[in-house]
Amino acid sequence: MRPALLVSLATLLATGAGHTVQQSRPAESRAVSAVVPPGRAFYFTRAVYSDYRSRSRGNWSTDFPKADRQFLIGLTRLTGIDAFEREHPMRLDDPALRRYPFLYAVEVGAMALTEAEVAGLRGYLLAGGFLVIDDFWGSFEWANFEREMQRVLPEYPIVELPLDHPLLRTFYAIEEVLQVPNVWQGRMGGPTWERDGYVPHLRAIADEQGRLMVLINWNSDLGDAWEWAEDPHYPLPFSNYAYRLGVNLILYGMSR
Amino acid sequence: MAERLFELLFKYRPVVFARGDLVFASPWPLIVVLALGALALAIGVTAYRRTGAAMSARERGGLLGLRIGAVAVLVFCLTGPALRVTTVVPQQNFLGILVDDSRSMRVADGDGRTRGALATEMLAPAGPLMRALGERFKLRVFGFSETLGRADSVGALTFDGRRTDLTEALAAARRDLATVPLAGLVLVTDGADNAAGVLAEPLLALAADGVPVHVVGVGRETLTPDVELSRIGAPATVLEGTAVAVELAVRAAGYEGRRVPLQVEDEGRILARTEIRLPASGEPSTVRAHFVATEAGPRRVRFSIPLQDGELIAENNAVEALITVKRRTERILYFEGEPRFELKFLRRAVAEDKGVAVVTLLRTAEDKFLRLGVEDANELAAGFPRTRAELFRYRGLILGSVEASFFTHDQLQMLAEFVSVRGGGLLALGGRHAFAEGGWTETPLADVLPVMLERTARADTTPFFTEVTVELTPAGRDHPTLQVRSGAEASAARWDSLPALSTLNPVREVKAGASALLLGRGDGGPYVVLATQRYGRGRSVALPVQDSWIWQMHADIPPEDETHEAFWRQLLRHLLSDVPDPLDAAVSVDRVEPGRPLTLSAEVADSGYVRLNGADVQATVVDPAGGEHAVPLRWTVRHDGEYEATYEPSLAGRYEVRVTASQGGQSLGQATTYFEAGDVGAEFFGAGRQTGTLRRIAEETGGRYYTPANLRTLPEDVSFTESGATVVEHRDLWDMPVLLLTLVGLLSAEWIWRRHKGLA
Repeated sequence: MRPALLVSLATLLATGAGHTVQQSRPAESRAVSAVVPPGRAFYFTRAVYSDYRSRSRGNWSTDFPKADRQFLIGLTRLTGIDAFEREHPMRLDDPALRRYPFLYAVEVGAMALTEAEVAGLRGYLLAGGFLVIDDFWGSFEWANFEREMQRVLPEYPIVELPLDHPLLRTFYAIEEVLQVPNVWQGRMGGPTWERDGYVPHLRAIADEQGRLMVLINWNSDLGDAWEWAEDPHYPLPFSNYAYRLGVNLILYGMSR
Repeated sequence: MAERLFELLFKYRPVVFARGDLVFASPWPLIVVLALGALALAIGVTAYRRTGAAMSARERGGLLGLRIGAVAVLVFCLTGPALRVTTVVPQQNFLGILVDDSRSMRVADGDGRTRGALATEMLAPAGPLMRALGERFKLRVFGFSETLGRADSVGALTFDGRRTDLTEALAAARRDLATVPLAGLVLVTDGADNAAGVLAEPLLALAADGVPVHVVGVGRETLTPDVELSRIGAPATVLEGTAVAVELAVRAAGYEGRRVPLQVEDEGRILARTEIRLPASGEPSTVRAHFVATEAGPRRVRFSIPLQDGELIAENNAVEALITVKRRTERILYFEGEPRFELKFLRRAVAEDKGVAVVTLLRTAEDKFLRLGVEDANELAAGFPRTRAELFRYRGLILGSVEASFFTHDQLQMLAEFVSVRGGGLLALGGRHAFAEGGWTETPLADVLPVMLERTARADTTPFFTEVTVELTPAGRDHPTLQVRSGAEASAARWDSLPALSTLNPVREVKAGASALLLGRGDGGPYVVLATQRYGRGRSVALPVQDSWIWQMHADIPPEDETHEAFWRQLLRHLLSDVPDPLDAAVSVDRVEPGRPLTLSAEVADSGYVRLNGADVQATVVDPAGGEHAVPLRWTVRHDGEYEATYEPSLAGRYEVRVTASQGGQSLGQATTYFEAGDVGAEFFGAGRQTGTLRRIAEETGGRYYTPANLRTLPEDVSFTESGATVVEHRDLWDMPVLLLTLVGLLSAEWIWRRHKGLA
């Protein structure tokens, strides 16, 4: 039933029905209280962080906000989550971040956190927040990300997520880790990897009780698969997988 | 003083008038007396008529009135008034003297002397009282505490009895003296009865026999200075790790306002220590001692206040409770209708708690469920339980944000019965599909919940939302669930500093009989944040907020802060407290004197919690020496499924009671409880003189109440009795000084008035 639903969802997105997607992108994080209606069960919160090779609006904003909005359309149709339908970026050093226990960060290969961001993210994760990392590729970017995470959670190792981990069974049963290519390579049907990131990995940082604090989707790009799910040229298996994994990530983050 | 003045004027003491009947015994016929009176009156009237205009009609009337009064007094004296009283025949009657021989008589509240010493001196064989009584009666001296026993003299008493049973003492004295002419009983006691007997029974019997009980109350009503701690309520059984609150009554005199520590110990290990303020003299005040039950098994928990300077009784500064701490994992079903963070953080808060397992059923999408913490693949495989047997396996139930229409009518009824019949604990959480917003208003669960649900849907379709700043109610301040810090003050301070939560459910009112523990200040508030009540055999709790996890995640909460964990751990234990098993065993008291009976009881039900009256219920009592005693329990008839038996422990020490039940050869389970046999120290509690009880004994039997200071008249008072061998006496009243004084007064007044008018 679920794959069929996903196909219809992709069709829905491809025909442009449902949500109006805005083209403009905010330059920086906004005051959440001024924009976001309170009281919803879930906000797809995107991490706004500092980096050293920043695009004009920051690496954090890759695929923003279209990926967020399209993923939320799928999330609310596939599950019973009462999710806020729009994007929701927040700075890591904003104390109000603690009101949103799910956090999504992309393009962390050039992440260069300030001390305030390190402290903010560390407190967030130790208090029970769940961070999902997506869309960074190859050993160079891994090394940078690993170094930054060492600053945030030095006492916790990064480990490979086994395929029998409950996260991969929370809503959908995910049997393999797919490499989801960016939109250009996906459309072209070319290689799915970037740089030297040939093999996709799901890695994680867990607390003392084995509960995941950070889930790392390395050498794969869920964001593009969500963002371009409506594109008839983007391969359906990739967006299908991205939605499945995305739903599992959120339900895990809301239940464990 | 008043009585002496009365005796001076009226010749006899009031008791003689109270006991006697008025009679007239004139040597002359009454007609003669009346004729003499009428003649005297006529002379007076004639004389005043002759005065003519020398005085006014008013003056004449006044003088005539004085004359009439004087004549009336004379006529009364001439009629030979007398009191007819019944008195004992000397040495023909017995008088029982019952002296309290219990330990409360050792209290030294009589200017440094003990009550016992005072009684011994008062009733010394060579003393004036006993000599005066001995001249009139044959005396029988008894000592009494738990039972009544003959004593040669008061000096032979040791004041060592562990209980005071006035009911038994009076009944036994009546039985003992039933065959002799009994003039009355003299009861010397502080009245601090702790046997809870039905006093009316011996009092009615004695009154029917015409045997007056004269009571001499010893000791002071309020013991000053003294501090007394007594127990009001304590749970018999708790789950290991539970925050327990035991209600204690503190009564103090002479230390008003003093701050003293209240210490809780578990067999020598200090569990908690808090400071309390002693109440005003004599006024009882209730305090709660909070502690966490950390050691499994039967635990004797001691609550104490240190001995203060000059206290009269040291032994009443401590009280004990036997609490069985269970080590087991109790399972709670948490059904959540939509994914939300409350579920994640609730589960995390109690994840380390070995006593509680939260089995979670999360509806992730329509007809799709995520199960967490299930025991096996079959548990909840079909979603929410559809049968009572399936649901009643759990001891607690948490309902999250799930609409009422999700459930069938039978499931809704089952939810209500989970609380009312099974006796489980139900916690309703706030959320967009909870309470009135979830359509629960007209369901059976609306009756169960401790809060009022809105009767009509709100006209405004915009979902309600407000932030609420949570504050403790007075009931919440003392509630064990909300003790998130060690000590009530620290807990209250923590509650004052917690960040605001939010609610989607405007619940404003708790039901009668429910307790609001937390309120929230917000737009249009206050709102109920936490409320609890007993319902049927179980308990229901409402927490109409949606994000208690803010107390874990908020930036103001330090990482090491355990408030959220403590709140949920204790809230779930509150939910599980007193949840029955199909078979539960209990004892009427957790400590009893050896040789005294206590009641063993059991409540028996089948797996669907239908109470069974025809079960075979057996108790095995294991005494401190390891001996086993089989005690069958019988259905009480009073209540379905309730069985009882009486047991008298003979040895001092801890007893284990194992109860098993079966029906038709099929076991219904087993349960274990404990009690201890030993000194209960009852004599040191409530040891002030119970004047009300003592007066009642005297008044209901026709006796009088005395204190050691006004005993002088006791021997004579005792003589006026209709019980035993008696004679009837007439005591003249014509020569009462009051009559002479009245006569002289009236005549003098008349003469002075006349002289003043120039008529004398």
